[in-house]
Amino acid sequence: MIEVRGLTKLYGSLVAVEDLSFAVAPGEVLGLVGPNGAGKTTTLRSLVGIIRPTRGTIRIGASDMERDAVGAKRQLAFMPDEPRLFDYLTVEEHLRFTARLYGVRDADARIPALLQELELGEKTGALPEALSRGMKQKLAIACGLLHEPAVLLFDEPLTGLDPAGMRRMKQTIVERARQGAAVILSSHLLHLVEEVCTRVLVINRGRLVAIGTIAEIVASRPDLQGRGLEEIFLALTGGGGAT
Amino acid sequence: MIDAALYLAGRSLVNGLRRRLRRLRQPKYLIGFGVGLLYYYAFFLRPRGQSSGAALPGAAAEVVAMLGLAVLVVTGWLFGSSRSPLVYTPAETHFLFTAPLTRRQVLDFKLLRSQLALGLSSALSVVLFSGGHFPATRILRVLGLWLVFAALQMHSAVTALVRQSLEEHGVTAVRRRVGAFVIVAALVGAAALTLRGQFGIIQDAFVDDPVTGFDTLAAVLHRGVVGVVTWPFAALVGPAVSPNLATFAARLPAALLVVAVHYLWLMRSSIAFEEVAVESAERMATRIAAWRAGRRPPPIAGAAKPTRRALTRLRETGSPARAIAWKNIQAEWRGSGVRLPVIIVIGLIVVAWVASMGNEAGSGLIVLTVLCLLFGGLAVVFGPYGLRNDLRSDLQLWDLLKTYPMRGADLVAGEVLGPVTVLTAIAWGCMLGAFTLSLALDVPGFPVADRVAALLAVAIATPAALAVTTTIQNAAVLFFPAWITLGPARATGVEMIGQRLVTMVGSIVVLVVALIPAAVVGAVAVAIAGVTGIDGVWLAVPGAIAVAVTLVFEVIMAFAWLGRVFERSDPATEIGGTS
Repeated sequence: MIEVRGLTKLYGSLVAVEDLSFAVAPGEVLGLVGPNGAGKTTTLRSLVGIIRPTRGTIRIGASDMERDAVGAKRQLAFMPDEPRLFDYLTVEEHLRFTARLYGVRDADARIPALLQELELGEKTGALPEALSRGMKQKLAIACGLLHEPAVLLFDEPLTGLDPAGMRRMKQTIVERARQGAAVILSSHLLHLVEEVCTRVLVINRGRLVAIGTIAEIVASRPDLQGRGLEEIFLALTGGGGAT
Repeated sequence: MIDAALYLAGRSLVNGLRRRLRRLRQPKYLIGFGVGLLYYYAFFLRPRGQSSGAALPGAAAEVVAMLGLAVLVVTGWLFGSSRSPLVYTPAETHFLFTAPLTRRQVLDFKLLRSQLALGLSSALSVVLFSGGHFPATRILRVLGLWLVFAALQMHSAVTALVRQSLEEHGVTAVRRRVGAFVIVAALVGAAALTLRGQFGIIQDAFVDDPVTGFDTLAAVLHRGVVGVVTWPFAALVGPAVSPNLATFAARLPAALLVVAVHYLWLMRSSIAFEEVAVESAERMATRIAAWRAGRRPPPIAGAAKPTRRALTRLRETGSPARAIAWKNIQAEWRGSGVRLPVIIVIGLIVVAWVASMGNEAGSGLIVLTVLCLLFGGLAVVFGPYGLRNDLRSDLQLWDLLKTYPMRGADLVAGEVLGPVTVLTAIAWGCMLGAFTLSLALDVPGFPVADRVAALLAVAIATPAALAVTTTIQNAAVLFFPAWITLGPARATGVEMIGQRLVTMVGSIVVLVVALIPAAVVGAVAVAIAGVTGIDGVWLAVPGAIAVAVTLVFEVIMAFAWLGRVFERSDPATEIGGTS
């Protein structure tokens, strides 16, 4: 569903991502982890077409992001860590607007159900300024889920959510994967990655360091046997404290 | 406390200057800086004859300054906002309100810190209007102005606190204004009654000689009850209009007294309304944070206002470009105030009514017609620069826009069509209004049939012209996003002034280039129409159609081009996104 080959992004002489290749199949949740500045956000933004890679190809389903960006984006939903909303559209209007952009024909039927599911039913006429941080996040998620995307990308999805919101977000991620979506989740929260993701991609200084299930990664590095994910992560990325 | 405030102000200034200097390494900022310097030199610093500041003779400067100050204070109480000029930044809110400081110390800190900006403003005000002449006495004017600005700042802070407190207690804006108006009217009425016998003397003095007139007016303003009312204003502006050091020194104590009273007043008010003040600080911090994050700040009022109903409902299916345009129209509708248009319309009617007084019948209608045409023209010429709910606003959400499954050309078209639709509606409304009013007028040489032709021609050309201008503005932000201010926040600095000038000149050049082919095609159409027997004002209609078609063709080509630019753009490198 997601296929990345040789993804490279340069900013002048700065290498943000270098020769990154991986694939995510339907039903999989890939955790993207790495230290600050490792290239996670650049990778995600390249995958959703916000920035153009310097080299490499990205395929979403049958669509190549370079040659058929519209087709690729139609299958995608990107949930950034900070919800990006329009100041002067109400909750319901955000969904209608999104439906129109993504060509959702039965939006009238889907919107109330989605609002109900995300507990936004009483806020349909509210502008973003009247919403709490968590509600804005929910609205951004509702907009992302409205067109039932085959590929979901989350950047720090638990930021700003209360415990109940976090649980619901995790359920949403797992549920969508179970329904056949390919999911990429970028986060510093290793326990979230461990809990939700089926595979992990570790990136450091723009390069792929390890990819696979935690068991596979440990199998390829016998010295990491018996360690927790945090220690594995620190060892792979050269972070302090790893021995 | 003083040490901390001075340290923060000093380091912020130095680091800010360093950052600006580093920025000059980039050619776009260096060019902007050069152009900005030239602009300042040419318009403000270049020596040119007598300095404007010394042009006011006798007591004129004092009277003008006093009256100006009085107007500022009165309008502040009548129409001022609840926004305090002493706005705490998010960092100040975080560090100061959580620090072991009293409320008074926090306020002292803020007042001290703001003095640097006030001092610079005073110096700039004097330098910019000095006509290139800098005698040593100008330093006295800078110091005098500094006192005026400091007192005004504290006065505005007090009015804002009082206003917020009244708001919190449920006193509506109308009742607040009525209250302030009654007090002001009582003061003005008392002063007018006292001065009743002096009007003739003042008038005669002005007729004899303006200098004598101002001297007489100043003398009257300093006497009796009026003198008591105007004393704070006179005391405050005294040092700023002093001609020499001796007068300055003599007037300084009174001005300092006014500043000190304001300081005490602010302290008392701030402590009395502590809760309101803290809330206000936090609210302002939120607004500033929103601005800096590139989002539109939330409204000032504490209670959420009801959301205006959408003008139209977006249909489920259809072109994504129309959805973008719809979104921008909603933003204009919900973001604009209703008050201003209502005031403008009432103002127009009042102006027309006043103009018709004592004149022949219909003169009011003529004024109203002309004003309608004027407003329509202003909407067409300046509207595209004022209405910014297009890429100039939406590029704050550049990364979001780039995730939309639509062609770049469609996105740019939708962005441009939003403000164009709004401005076209305004311009057409004004034109139709002018036309309707003109039906009641007999204009020699311009019969109704010709007016219909003129209306049609202008109405046809208007949306195309608006589309061209708005497209140029959107193109500028796409090509040079770092040169254009995104959203409501305003970047400052000489280099930014220069960049705006360069952008403005560039936009005008592109506009002229875009209009040339349309003018040629329009002229050809008029010539052909002339051959076919159409004459007079009606020739403008085929001309306008040809112009509009050409401009629309150009705009469609521009959409395709700009769409490709948008698709290839990288928000991270253009406006410093994350990586």
